[in-house]
Amino acid sequence: MKALRYHRKPVKYAASRLASSLRTGSGAAYGPLDLSEPKELALPSAEWVRVRPQLSGICGSDLATVEGRSSRWFEPIVSFPFVPGHEIMALDSNDRRVVIEPALGCVSRGITPPCHWCASGNLGRCERITFGCLRPGLQSGFCADTGGGWATEMVAHPSQLHAVPDELSDLDAVMIEPAACGIHAAMSAGSLDGAVVAVIGAGTLGVLTVSALSTWNRPAHLIVGAKYPEQIRAARAGGATEVVETNGLLRAVRRTVGCLAVGDGDLERLAGGADVVFDCVGSGASIDNALRMTRPGGRIVLVGMAGPTNIDLTPLWHREVALAGAYAYGTEPFLNGRRTFDAAIELAGTAQLGRLVSATYPLERYTEALDHAANAGKRGAIKVAFDLRAQPKRTTLTKEPSA
Amino acid sequence: MAGGSERLTGLSERLKERVGRKLFDADVESGISAMLRRGPLGTGVGAASAKLMPRQLRMFPFTKASWPGSVPRDPSRSELQMNYDTEWARDPWALALRRGLTEGLLRPGVGVLASPSIQGLDRLDGVNGPVIFAANHQSHLDIFLVLASVPLRFRKKIVIVAAADYFFDTKFKATLSALGLGAIPIDRKKVSRTSSDRALEVLRDGWSLVVFPEGSRSPDGWASEFKPGTAFLSTRTNLPVVPIHLEGTGRLLPRGKNIPKRGNTAVTFGLPLHPEPDEDPRKMNVRIETAIAELADEEANGWWQARRNAASGDTPKLQGPAVTSWRKEWLLTEQEKRHDKVKRSWP
Amino acid sequence: MSAPKRAPRPGFVLDVDRSTPPTLMWHGEGFRLEKFPVGTRVIYAPEPVNPLVDPRGAIRHALANPVGDSQPLASLLFSGMKLTIAFDDISLPLPPMERPDIRQMIIEEVLDQAATAGVDDVELIAALALHRRMTEAELRHAVGDRVYDAFAPSGRLYNHDAEDPDGMVFLGETKHGEKVQFSKRAAESDLLVYVNINLVAMNGGWKSTATGLAGYQGIRHHHNPDTLRASKSIMDKDNSKFHDINWRMGTVIREAGVKIFQIESTINNDAFPSSMNFLQKREWEWNARDRASFVALSKTLDRVPSRTKRGIFHATKAPHKMTSVQAGEVEAVHELTIAQVHKQQLVRVEGQTDILTMGLPYIGPYNVNSIMNPVLVMCLGLGYFFNLYRKKPLVREGGVLIMSHPTPWEFHPVHHPSYIDFFEQVLADTTDPSTMEAKYEKQYAEDEWYRHLYRTSYAYHGVHPFYMWYWGSHALEHLGKVIIVGGDPKSVRRLGFTPASTMRDALEMASDVVGRDPSITHLHNPPIFMCEVD
Repeated sequence: MKALRYHRKPVKYAASRLASSLRTGSGAAYGPLDLSEPKELALPSAEWVRVRPQLSGICGSDLATVEGRSSRWFEPIVSFPFVPGHEIMALDSNDRRVVIEPALGCVSRGITPPCHWCASGNLGRCERITFGCLRPGLQSGFCADTGGGWATEMVAHPSQLHAVPDELSDLDAVMIEPAACGIHAAMSAGSLDGAVVAVIGAGTLGVLTVSALSTWNRPAHLIVGAKYPEQIRAARAGGATEVVETNGLLRAVRRTVGCLAVGDGDLERLAGGADVVFDCVGSGASIDNALRMTRPGGRIVLVGMAGPTNIDLTPLWHREVALAGAYAYGTEPFLNGRRTFDAAIELAGTAQLGRLVSATYPLERYTEALDHAANAGKRGAIKVAFDLRAQPKRTTLTKEPSA
Repeated sequence: MAGGSERLTGLSERLKERVGRKLFDADVESGISAMLRRGPLGTGVGAASAKLMPRQLRMFPFTKASWPGSVPRDPSRSELQMNYDTEWARDPWALALRRGLTEGLLRPGVGVLASPSIQGLDRLDGVNGPVIFAANHQSHLDIFLVLASVPLRFRKKIVIVAAADYFFDTKFKATLSALGLGAIPIDRKKVSRTSSDRALEVLRDGWSLVVFPEGSRSPDGWASEFKPGTAFLSTRTNLPVVPIHLEGTGRLLPRGKNIPKRGNTAVTFGLPLHPEPDEDPRKMNVRIETAIAELADEEANGWWQARRNAASGDTPKLQGPAVTSWRKEWLLTEQEKRHDKVKRSWP
Repeated sequence: MSAPKRAPRPGFVLDVDRSTPPTLMWHGEGFRLEKFPVGTRVIYAPEPVNPLVDPRGAIRHALANPVGDSQPLASLLFSGMKLTIAFDDISLPLPPMERPDIRQMIIEEVLDQAATAGVDDVELIAALALHRRMTEAELRHAVGDRVYDAFAPSGRLYNHDAEDPDGMVFLGETKHGEKVQFSKRAAESDLLVYVNINLVAMNGGWKSTATGLAGYQGIRHHHNPDTLRASKSIMDKDNSKFHDINWRMGTVIREAGVKIFQIESTINNDAFPSSMNFLQKREWEWNARDRASFVALSKTLDRVPSRTKRGIFHATKAPHKMTSVQAGEVEAVHELTIAQVHKQQLVRVEGQTDILTMGLPYIGPYNVNSIMNPVLVMCLGLGYFFNLYRKKPLVREGGVLIMSHPTPWEFHPVHHPSYIDFFEQVLADTTDPSTMEAKYEKQYAEDEWYRHLYRTSYAYHGVHPFYMWYWGSHALEHLGKVIIVGGDPKSVRRLGFTPASTMRDALEMASDVVGRDPSITHLHNPPIFMCEVD
């Protein structure tokens, strides 16, 4: 088997951090990530099965790791060396297409009885991610025992496997996991009837959140701030009522709400604002921006992974804004307890999410692939993925026709 | 920058060839526009623009714009030509400067170059007030010759009536003419109120006038027809016309030449002609022309012969015999022979 | 011996031939020199009309000898009365004139007479309708320091506030059901004196008061796509539905008992100081000084940032001189005014053209001391210059309009906040005036923040960008294509127009619409003028 493995090598980690700070996307070449042919993984327990990843996406959290910018928070809840990749479309032993729900809850860890989160199907909130028959790991792709998507083979617990309906293309299928994240974030806001909703950022998560919002929550106004033309197009296709350039989002929210604002012509912040703001960038600047455009008593959903930042939380306090995270998936009370992944599979089909995959690379060209992914917006891409199917010599920017 | 605009021009040339349409008749727009928008001055004024844009620098707006063919020229708009105001050139300081030039430079210069022999000055004895000097006209030297020859009492306060379209067509020439010659502009193509008003005003101010009634220099050595403007001024002001005949300047600096050669000239003053009461300017014009013709005859054949010719009506016409073609020129060569010996100014 | 004072030459139409020099065009805060194809007509404005020798004397004479059924001003003033003087705002004249402003001269004269009559209750209102408020400096420039210092500190010289709930009244409805909204102070005054500067034929008359002192509820009856499409043109009062409605409203105002003493003045088109004299001269008559100042100015403009460019131009004050002043009853006064405007501005042109070209300057009525944003570019070209005609539009129906302006995606955040939103939201959705009227106008007109900025800051009213767009309704309907030469492609496309990099490209593009051998006419401005097209 071939695998991209991430080791605990502080010097290389520092090198990747330095390189990426000089040029975004260059971290992989210097970091503790290598392509090797390790021996087969042992099955953690008898229930586990082997699967062969076919398409495996590159996620923002993967990039943060590879670029040396990941949060120290993850240190105790990952185990080295791990194979990254958790947006996985794989074949099981019967050559059946499956997608993997990577969260490693009590069931996959062989812990009985499961914690109350796992019992209610909210695996993302599992309280025992460092225990059980697995070494620490919040998801497949961050755990030394499970392997990950950036390899030709990995192991998975049957509870993690979801069959891919025949009508979905391979590319649609690889988008199911990120779609589940977007859906989970959107559903966490509950009913948005008549609400003004702003989405900051239109990368993969932003677009998928927009798709989910426009499919299920259907706010009165769904305004998206996007940075690049391709993102603007994707957000518009995703069902946004208005897409503006990121620096015009504050103004767009204001004119939609019709509220007053602080600032004489040039807007400093809004006096009112959007009911819910989804921050799909996850930087200090984007949270700060979100705080300027959320109405008093409104809600900010942090969809992007923020990491350590320095922001003034006075408005959070003063305007009684709720700042909530949205991680992974589970079951959705707003969808009457439906599993997020099932909703994601549905969305992948109805919204033809495979269109968001802009480029695929073979594992061998991982530095290029990661560079492309880190600069996706600039280079007119949304999602970049590894293609591990039979012929690894695939070139960039070829799109699979939808099945 | 240069490359860019040349490419542009090149492109437009090619387009023009290929399409060959009216739309592309206009040619230089891209160059100029591009230059004015982006500017050759991005890299400094001097070298860059001179090196990069020699062609543009020779065009509008760096040079004067061409006059559109469909727009009639309206001379009344200009501050030059007929509208040039020469009043300043009759201020005391300008007059003093001109006196200095006339006495210190012009007269000695004319003396050396043209060696004028001046006759008939005695006929002006007793005439002091402003007069109108009317002379035949063969050469630009005529002006200088007259200025150098008229007696000092006239020379102190004299203006030349000069063709507006020639002497006043640019600011530079107009200034020089007004200051150096004391010239005032006149429209020689048509009788205009402005020109006559101006001349009358100057005369009434006590200035003498030098007029060349032919209007322009002789094209062939023989005189052209006299225009009645001089006579008109005289009849209007009741001031006398002093006829002057100039001989030889046409050889020294003929029309079409720029550099004069040395030679001998003759200036003959005639008796002042006073306008008769209610005289028709046209009639007086004939008198002026006849007087100058008689002076020419006098210069060529001597006073007595001239008087006899005048009495018998045989004074040769200034315009030459009523013959055409080569014979007119042939006759001129006869006159030239008499003057082939240059009188030396000093031994 | 100086030449007699020449009579100003009338405007004329030049036929371009091979000897015609390149033609000067405005290009925002810059110029371009274009060589037009042979056969192009270039229309030049009449030269500035000789001004009144004694403007103050003329004002006194006009006040004492009013036209129409009006009494002399002095006999309308009495002790204990309520007197309101309203005057035109910063949008007139263009560019702003050198001191003393005509408004100052007239207002001082009116106030002198009011003082003589012992009038105590006097208020002065800048009749700016939904325009931005004037700053102190701008007010001082318009009315003069003497008037400003006497009235502003005590709050008796102020900007009209159309959104003041306590400051506006409804005077009634016209027979067509249009509501007439009016300044309460003006309506309650014993006499309203209106001081106007009539730059173009659209200004003045009942528009001064019926629009200038109204609010959104009144103005929307004539500032809408349907009315403006039926105004052919808005510069020709007798064929303008826009003016019909204003005149109808005027009748209501009069019948409501508002007594108006209208003072209108006209100016000549001497719009630029001698350092920019070349702007007003025909190219072949440029002397060495004109050419030198042109080259120097255009080189300077090439090298400085746009801020500085704007600074250079907006600091320029026009040496406009008063050519007439008349006072009395509104309609009688306005007839005289229009005749004077025509005398200065009308150029007779034979026949329409396939392609009309024009250079757009750095200034329009709505960006004095401000930025000419893309919406204003559209309004200046399609709203103003296109409409400067009588009888028939200069360009034929289905013809092409080519304008030259850099059209940067740039807005003055203080003056034009709602324009930014209009450009980003409304124009991204539709460029059709009626569609945007139905879909967005109310939202913008009633937006609380725009209202706040209009009332307290220096912002145009929220609905103003719509009016700018409606202003071009007639042109949008009439034209087959609009091309902007040298414009920022992104903003030009947002306007729904076609960007072209050079005039030649633009003419090429136009041939798609008007064929391969079109007739071309160029409006040579400045100065501003108006065509009578037979």
